[in-house]
Amino acid sequence: MGVYLKGFLIACRGIPATVAVSLIAIVIGAAFGLLLALCSQTKSKVLQVLSKVYIDIVRGTPMLVQALIMAYGIPWLLQSWGVGFKWDNFGGMVVPAVIVCGFNSAAYMSEVIRSGIQAIDKGQMEAARSLGMSHGMAMRLVIIPQAVRIILPAFANEFVTLIKETSVLGYVGVVEILRRGQLWNSSSFETFPAYIGVALAYMILTIPLSKAINGYERKMARKESAA
Amino acid sequence: MLNENKEVMLEVKNIFKNFGDLEVLKGVSTEVDKGEVISIIGASGSGKSTLLRCMNLLEEPTFGEVWIEGKLMTPVDPYLHYDVIKASNTYKKLIAGGMDELDAIMKIKQEDLLQEKSGKEGSEYKSLMDKIYKENHIDTNLGRRKMSMVFQQFNLFNNLTVLENIMLAPVETAKYNKVKDLNGEKAKIREQAFTLLKRIGLEDKADVYPSKLSGGQKQRIAIVRSLAMNPDVMLFDEPTSALDPEMIGEVLDLMKELAQAGMTMVIVTHEMGFAKEVSDRVLFVDEGYIKEEGTPEEVFDHPKDPRLQDFLSKVL
Repeated sequence: MGVYLKGFLIACRGIPATVAVSLIAIVIGAAFGLLLALCSQTKSKVLQVLSKVYIDIVRGTPMLVQALIMAYGIPWLLQSWGVGFKWDNFGGMVVPAVIVCGFNSAAYMSEVIRSGIQAIDKGQMEAARSLGMSHGMAMRLVIIPQAVRIILPAFANEFVTLIKETSVLGYVGVVEILRRGQLWNSSSFETFPAYIGVALAYMILTIPLSKAINGYERKMARKESAA
Repeated sequence: MLNENKEVMLEVKNIFKNFGDLEVLKGVSTEVDKGEVISIIGASGSGKSTLLRCMNLLEEPTFGEVWIEGKLMTPVDPYLHYDVIKASNTYKKLIAGGMDELDAIMKIKQEDLLQEKSGKEGSEYKSLMDKIYKENHIDTNLGRRKMSMVFQQFNLFNNLTVLENIMLAPVETAKYNKVKDLNGEKAKIREQAFTLLKRIGLEDKADVYPSKLSGGQKQRIAIVRSLAMNPDVMLFDEPTSALDPEMIGEVLDLMKELAQAGMTMVIVTHEMGFAKEVSDRVLFVDEGYIKEEGTPEEVFDHPKDPRLQDFLSKVL
């Protein structure tokens, strides 16, 4: 039993890295996702196409491939152009990892945000505009606050997904939960306890979060039926 | 230009509106004078709501002009002003080519030859356009603050309390105008909001969210929210159509009160009795045109247009 506990504790040492990357990435994802969602709804055809192409590319490729391109491909390209670029000079391998996770989740977040905004009755925007507010003011003061309530569960689900997806970052040199387990496995050869420990470490992050989301959704459903 | 003596508040000129291939308005013109109450009646799909929504540009007219208090809300059209056309390089070239003045103007208008965006029209043309723009044009958002709208579906902001609903736009306007004593201004706006709520007997609902209100309460608060902008004109888009019958009275009573207080109002409505009672003028919209207009007596008691006679026989 002790060996399983050890495997779990070692995997847990990766939690700070996993959580930090996920948190920063979800912030980038939400901000850039909002921007993409707004772009896809503007009148500008150029912005619409750009956001669509971006979303298609990101959703059409695995995050591991994106991470490899960002972490190794881009430095290689820059070096072949004679630019002495190394991620280590810019804060280490965790930087491309955070960038990839953030901009990857932005593509998914933008769809969530877009559907949230579209779920708001058109009359809300019209009422705001008829009172002389600009489109931006109406979005900021009326539409987005209402959309946030709708998209909060999907947003949290995306965070859960992101936590699990960061497991690929071990391949680009970030020592997160999975990487901790792998390193311990390769020195101790306790393969089963190592990976069970990894699984448990992810579960103590994701399961409470999922439960909280379910609770929130039930609460909202009750509120709506009461209203 | 508007004739200032008549105190025209709102004027629409030659409004066309297409939705794709569907022509909803086919050239509608009318004026709304200060203090006048106008009802717009007509069957569903006749274009009456679209006409009202064109007045504050919630629908952008495909063609035509909307003037609010002598200022143009729709884009300034260089083709309307012959002196603008004459200042353009395109015109000068045609004249230099030996063309007659009027022919050149007509050719430019018909073939849409002015190229203001590509910057080919020269400095004289641009300064004239600028001048016309400065003298006549008003920003859509500023224009809308002079005329607020009340909707069929109330459209109270669901994320805000009743008081916040009323205060939001006036406070944001004060911020936009960079009022120096913003807190003092907010206190004033708050006081006004409470005065308005008292007027409709709903001051106890100030901190309640819209989902807890009845339809009649929502609509009266929506009216009060519009009033808080101190509008010069109020537009009503079928304000009682979504209400339970027992709540229609309270909303109509409030509107009558406004009309008696001298508010300029344009009302799209199915409430014929109400239209007859409060209106100074009634417009009958049908097939995208104003088919008939006149005093309530003329329109309701002595209709001339056969479509209006038919319509009235069905609704009265």
